[in-house]
Formats: sequence, structure tokens, C-alpha cells
Amino acid sequence: MPNLRWSYMDHWREPSPRGLVTQYASVRSMDRFIKQLVALGFAGIDTFFFSLPQFEAMFGSLPNFENFMRERGMDKIVNVFFAKPNATPGFAFHERSDHDNIVAACERILERCRDISVEGLIVMPTNTYWQMEPVTDDRIGVIADLWNRVGEMTRRHGAKTSIHHEFWCGIRTLEQIERFYELTDPELVYFFCDTAQHVIAHVDPVALYEKYHARCSGFHFKDTHDVDTTEDFRRPPDAELLSPTVERWFWEMGTPEGLVDFPALMRAMKKHEYKGWVALEHDKADIGGSNYAEATAVGKWYADNVLSKIYA
Amino acid sequence: MPSIKFSYALNSWRPTYDSFVRREQHARALKTISVSGFRSVELSCGAGRWEPLGNREMMETNHGSIDGFVDFLRSCAIDAVSSYFFDPGVFLSSAGVPLAVANPADRAEIVERAREYLIMLPLLGGDRLVVKPAPAYWRSGEPSQPLLRNIAELWNQVGEIAAQQRVKVAMHLDCLCAIRSEAAIDRLLDATNPQSVGLAIDTAELTLAGLDPVAVYDRFAERVNHVQFKDVLLRDDLGEATQSNAELNFLSGGGSREVARWFWELGTPGGLVDFPALLSRLQARGYDGWIVVESDQSPYPATSAMLNGWYVNRVLAPRR
Repeated sequence: MPNLRWSYMDHWREPSPRGLVTQYASVRSMDRFIKQLVALGFAGIDTFFFSLPQFEAMFGSLPNFENFMRERGMDKIVNVFFAKPNATPGFAFHERSDHDNIVAACERILERCRDISVEGLIVMPTNTYWQMEPVTDDRIGVIADLWNRVGEMTRRHGAKTSIHHEFWCGIRTLEQIERFYELTDPELVYFFCDTAQHVIAHVDPVALYEKYHARCSGFHFKDTHDVDTTEDFRRPPDAELLSPTVERWFWEMGTPEGLVDFPALMRAMKKHEYKGWVALEHDKADIGGSNYAEATAVGKWYADNVLSKIYA
Repeated sequence: MPSIKFSYALNSWRPTYDSFVRREQHARALKTISVSGFRSVELSCGAGRWEPLGNREMMETNHGSIDGFVDFLRSCAIDAVSSYFFDPGVFLSSAGVPLAVANPADRAEIVERAREYLIMLPLLGGDRLVVKPAPAYWRSGEPSQPLLRNIAELWNQVGEIAAQQRVKVAMHLDCLCAIRSEAAIDRLLDATNPQSVGLAIDTAELTLAGLDPVAVYDRFAERVNHVQFKDVLLRDDLGEATQSNAELNFLSGGGSREVARWFWELGTPGGLVDFPALLSRLQARGYDGWIVVESDQSPYPATSAMLNGWYVNRVLAPRR
């Protein structure tokens, strides 16, 4: 049994006679999607909370979709990602008055997944930075209380709550991250390491993993060619999609311009004997003429041919 | 049991003559093929600066030497070039004009062009020169005895050089070829040297031409020395593959039905080729050559490589 199993964080698009479509366009598109990932050696997918109803609509239920995956050689949905970047009514994470609503929303996700083998709820911990600021210790404390509650809830459902630090969220600097983990229960709130997000925010993901390896539940392995040098992280309306300075933040592993030191991270994972899932991610892969299929293949090639020699 | 080796054709990445020319594009394609489960590739012969994988001069210019090109392949986790596809009708000649296999005046130059690849293939780990052996039907009509004699002499001559290099010549019959019946195949094989020249089974091309690739294999198994796997959803029921300018009007333009794409990935719903049946026959007869998986005409070559990889590894591999 290998130490690492590879999952694909779902941002898939594919060309069709109707233009770009997602794999939710049809059962046949989903069939092609799963087969392509299995061909590359992926054993699971990570998906978004808003995709769960689409699986149910296409297959009748999530267990039916899980069977569909297994018939094609894939095991499971590993993690479900939850985010509310905009502080819409009821979803201002830094407002205690919204916490009951947010905890309930997260619990509905877990209840929806009760008949499949999801392992974790991965969350963007805050709204966008510009909607949360000023980011104070008190506000980080409010956020910590929220995720402690969610972590306690997901544990009852047999899943971990893990925090994914977008470079444009409210807990993004090393100081903010450290404060947040001081205030959260390591038994309830886990660290999820998205390599590119940390690098863009001037945080070393390897050092971060070294510090929090004991509570690290997983990874998004993706690369970036840029760090944020102009405070894009706080620029409305959306730093990730609409930055005026960087058209494409995220890249698949293995491009020459990549800034993430994946070999160093693998050496750290080996040192700490990490065992579990690693998700390959490359959102926005089609900006500039590339495509998701080839970017996925090139990224997984890098994992198989470069990283696996360090740790697998 | 002899081992069948799978390879993957790079031709779907080359829709036009001056695209897919940069080394980083080649690296991404090769890595995609490798991680999809294929460790060897089939390349196409081609002349000039826009064919950086298609001729020795450009490979040496781009990579320093053939060894340098081999190092490049290995850096992408590709072990070998299984085969080269050799079509004298593309721009291979020194004059830059197509060469005609049926024209004895072109024979010497075709043989010289072939020699380059026959010498190069063993250096790349390969052992098959896959040739387009005959003109299109619309150019020659039913193959006459003089035509068959001409082309057989040509390929026997190429075969002699191939044998010196431990390479075999595989005659690839596409859907437009003048050799488009079992009787014509029989006559062509009879006229060629079985020691050095054999038959390539291309599943989709034969099916599109109205032949059954399994039946063709069963009949000529002893002469089959190369196999290409791709699927097809239609046959040429309208007889358009034999009409004038079929390369453009039928194969490229899709014929009167304007078929957008003739060739498909293995396992495509509605596919006409019975790959498990053919694989079983190949195994039963002890075939130990290459099966090159192709997806020419794919608009999305990476997707095709991955889908083909899934089919080979999940459907065909358990049968191997």
C-alpha cells in the first residue's frame, strides 16, 4: 500500500461542440472525465459542495455516483470543498451572529454525504480579505470559534474539518495563520496545505507544513508563477479571478517558471511519514490556451516521474 | 507467451504543417502519452524545419544528435520510438514535391529517403517502418498487375535495406488505398518478400474501407507485422472514399455527410471495431510486435491519449 494516494481537485472543463463544458454536462462527459483521471492513476476526486446536487441529479444519488466511479476504477469522493467568498447575508464568517447559519450549512453537506465515504470538509475560512478587514486578533478569534464548532460537528459525522488558506482570504499571513491555529483545537480543526496559495501570500508552504505537520490533513499540489507584490489580495472585487496584475495565478506542477518547491515538500512529508491523500489542482488551467486534460496529465507526470522518487 | 508492446502515435498533435513544432510542446505531449500508460511513440516522417520530429537533420539540429533526442525522450519518460510512418506522398523529396510510389522514376529517391529512417530507427529503439504502399484508389483504379509489380519491387528494395538494420517494413492500407479488398491484399503480399515486408492492420482504416480487420488478420496473420488501434463509427457506405480527391473531400471534408471526425478513441460508444476480439486473435497467433494506438483527427489529443490509456489498461490489459 503506498503512503500517498492521488486525488484530483475538480476544476475540469472540456471542449465540446457547444463550447467549453464541465463534466456535469452529461453522463457521457462524466464517463470521459473519470476514465481520463483513472488512466493517469488518480484514485479519488475532491469536489465542491455545490457539485453534490449535480451528482445526485445525474445519477439519482451520491452512492450511485460512487458506484459509477468504482466501475471505472476510481474509489471515491475524498473531500468536499466549502467556501462563501462573498459575505452574503448569513455568511459573514467574522460575525458571530451568522455562525449558527454557517454551522448548519456545513452540517447539511455532511448529511448529504452520509451514504458515501467522504473523509473531509475543506473550507475557505473567511470571506474575501477586503470584506473582512481589518483582520484583528479578535476577528481571528471569532473565526477560530466558528471552525471549532464546525470541526466538532464534522467529527460526529466521521469527517475532518480542514482549513485552506486562500491568498485572498482573511487568514493568509504567517502571523494570522499561527494565531488561528493557536486558537483552534488540533483535534477538531486541521491544516490543509495549498502550495500555490501560500507562495503567492509570501508564506513558505514547506515551513508551514513542518510546523503543522501533525495536524495536516492533506494538500492541494498546485504551482504559481507569481507572488502578490501589489496587495492584490485585498483588491475588490475578486483577487483570484479579476486581478489587473496577474491573469493566471495557478499552474500545474512541472512548468519551468513554477515557484513552489515540491521536492522540498515531499522530503518534509517523507520525514514526517505523511500517509494519505494528495490532491493535484490547477484551477484556471485553460487561461492562455492550455487545457485541463493536458495540464492534468503533465501535472500527474511530474508527480509520478519526479516526486515519487522522493516519496510515494 | 509473446509479449505485445503498446505504443502511441503522435500524429493527433499535428493538425497542420507548422504547428506543434516547439520542444516544450513536444515535451507536454510526450509526458501526456507517458503518464497515460504508453512508453513508446510512433512518429511521422517529414521534411524540413517544420517537422522537428520527422527527419534526422532537424532532430540533430534541435537536440544536438540522435543520442540527444533519445535523452529528450527519456527525460519525458518515453523509452523508444517504436516506428516511423513513411508516406512518400508528403513533402519528403529533395525537390519538395510529393513522390509517387507507382512511378518507377521516383523509386530511387523513395528508397534513399526510407534509408534515413531505417538507419535511425534502431538508434531510437524501434523496428518498424510503416509505409503507405500504394496510391489512392481514385488515382489508380483497381490495381493492375504492372502497378502491383512496381510497388512490390519498391517495397522489396526498401525491405532489403530494412533487413540489414533489423527493421521490418509494414504496409499500411488506409481507407483510400487502391488495395482495398482481401484479394488485392493477397496479390500484394504474394509479390513482396515475406522476410522483410509485411502487412499493417489499421483497425479503423480497414473498417472504414469496408473490410473486417479481424477477418483480414485471420487470413493474413503470418504476414502481419504491425497493428494500429483506433476506432471508427461509420463505414464508407456511400463509396466516397474512392472518388476524386478523396483525401480532401472524404477524409478531411467528411464526404457528403460532412462527417466531422472519422476516427475515435478506443471504447467510444458506437465504435465498430471489436478490439478484444482482435487482441485475442493476435495473442492466439503469437503476435509479438507493436500495437500503436492512434487518434488522428482528434480535436483534443491529450483527452484522446488519456481515454485510450484507460481502455488499454482497464479493458484490454486484463485480457493480456
